[in-house]
Amino acid sequence: MAYKHFEIIEKNAALLGILTAIMVSIGGLAEITPLFMEAHAVKAPAGVKPYDPLRLAGKDVYVREGCYLCHSQMIRALRAETQRYGHFSTAQESVYDRPFQWGSKRTGPDLARVGGKYTDDWQRLHLEDPRQVVPQSNMPAYPWLEHNKISAEDIEARMRVLRQLGDPYTDADIASARQALAGKTEMDALIAYLQGLGIQNEPAGKVPVPTGHGGMP
Amino acid sequence: MSPGWSLWVMFLVVLNFGITFLLYLWAPRAKIPTLSDDTSGHVWAHGTIREGVRNLPLWWLLLSGAMFVAGAAYLVLYPGFGNHKGILGWSAHGELARAESINNAKLDELVVRFRQYPVEQLADDPAALQMGERLFVDNCAACHGRGGYGNVKLGAPSLIDDDWLYGGSGKDILSSIHDGRSGLMPPWASLGEDNVKNLANYVLSLSGSPHDASRAAAGQPLFTTCAACHGAQGKGNPALGAPNLTDHIWLHGGKFEDVVHTIGGGRQGHMPAWSKRLTDDQIRVLAAYVYHLSRQGDAAAQASR
Repeated sequence: MAYKHFEIIEKNAALLGILTAIMVSIGGLAEITPLFMEAHAVKAPAGVKPYDPLRLAGKDVYVREGCYLCHSQMIRALRAETQRYGHFSTAQESVYDRPFQWGSKRTGPDLARVGGKYTDDWQRLHLEDPRQVVPQSNMPAYPWLEHNKISAEDIEARMRVLRQLGDPYTDADIASARQALAGKTEMDALIAYLQGLGIQNEPAGKVPVPTGHGGMP
Repeated sequence: MSPGWSLWVMFLVVLNFGITFLLYLWAPRAKIPTLSDDTSGHVWAHGTIREGVRNLPLWWLLLSGAMFVAGAAYLVLYPGFGNHKGILGWSAHGELARAESINNAKLDELVVRFRQYPVEQLADDPAALQMGERLFVDNCAACHGRGGYGNVKLGAPSLIDDDWLYGGSGKDILSSIHDGRSGLMPPWASLGEDNVKNLANYVLSLSGSPHDASRAAAGQPLFTTCAACHGAQGKGNPALGAPNLTDHIWLHGGKFEDVVHTIGGGRQGHMPAWSKRLTDDQIRVLAAYVYHLSRQGDAAAQASR
């Protein structure tokens, strides 16, 4: 290699750009391609089931309203996080989330294991107007959820699409949507979704033993 | 990661490392044709700017060299080179376990001390209260409020008074937190709108709140139905979580309309069980904090009466 070869690169902007792109993409190729190609190997553990119709509807409301812009659903393997939110999240827990709700943007708290932490009534008041239960909250109110009905046909269609993508919905599951969603509002659906988050998902055998004092601050 | 993808990552790491390292070795030795004026002959802006030829500065060579050493050392010590685990055996989960055990070791002394006392006595321990406050703010404040003043809209009771739905001993508080509580008052709209209003007046009369005396008298006989839970005197029943109606403390509001609404529509209150989220030691510390809150509120509550 001689200097003149570099002179060619230096004087040819297009070539310089292409070679720079190749060098920069090496890091991405190493980090992204193996995980991307092996994503199919991630299987749902016991206790992680496809969303039932009401929760599926709620999940889509969650995404539509942009809840992920302020709430992550990813507890990192750091003591400060596991103490507050519970066992760290694993990839297997999110196999039925399309798109997954991981992230690091936390204007509000992480919601990965919020299911059952509060009552349905609390969730309802909180979504209607968060200031009703948390005076210092800066979360927006979502009063219209109470007035929007869920369309069962729509959710059935979504379940059929998810089945094509590989989610193990049975015909009976899809047929149950009509009854499960009768008279339900988007508020009901979102609450059902939130109350199911993290329930029975915690990786078995790694759950902190309740008799100890593992989580004390 | 499968062995194939591991090799792929190793290949890319070696490729990247190799290209940059060869450039690093070659650059100081490169023979650059130099003109008599010590420039490379490259010109910009019609010759106004010319490219001088100088050796790479020593600090730059040393810094770059140090980065190659650091990068190689990292790949040997830590995970990153394909499936190589790193000779230090570091992992994020191991780091978490270590951080937790270090923290637990710090807390052990305190926790052992806390276990010796009943909840009532623990409420005098500043360290326990400090821990209890953190846990309260994170877990309980959403319903009971940061200061423990409760939430009438939700029917979450105030914790800073001396009025208890399910009893205020340390044991009762522990049990409320550990197992949660569910209260249910059935709706009595079937009595008829007029009767509900009469009853509401009678209920308000029990605590000496403003009411219509004649309607209260009309409502009194109907109270036998209510007495099953609230007691003949309306003093409540901690075994059922039935509120005392003779004080000025209202779970769902004490205005006439509130009481009518409560009687006509019934009420449900639900507090989740915390045994799954919190350890027994955490629950004890929390119970001590709640016990402390109620004692702290005593003085203020008495002053306001």
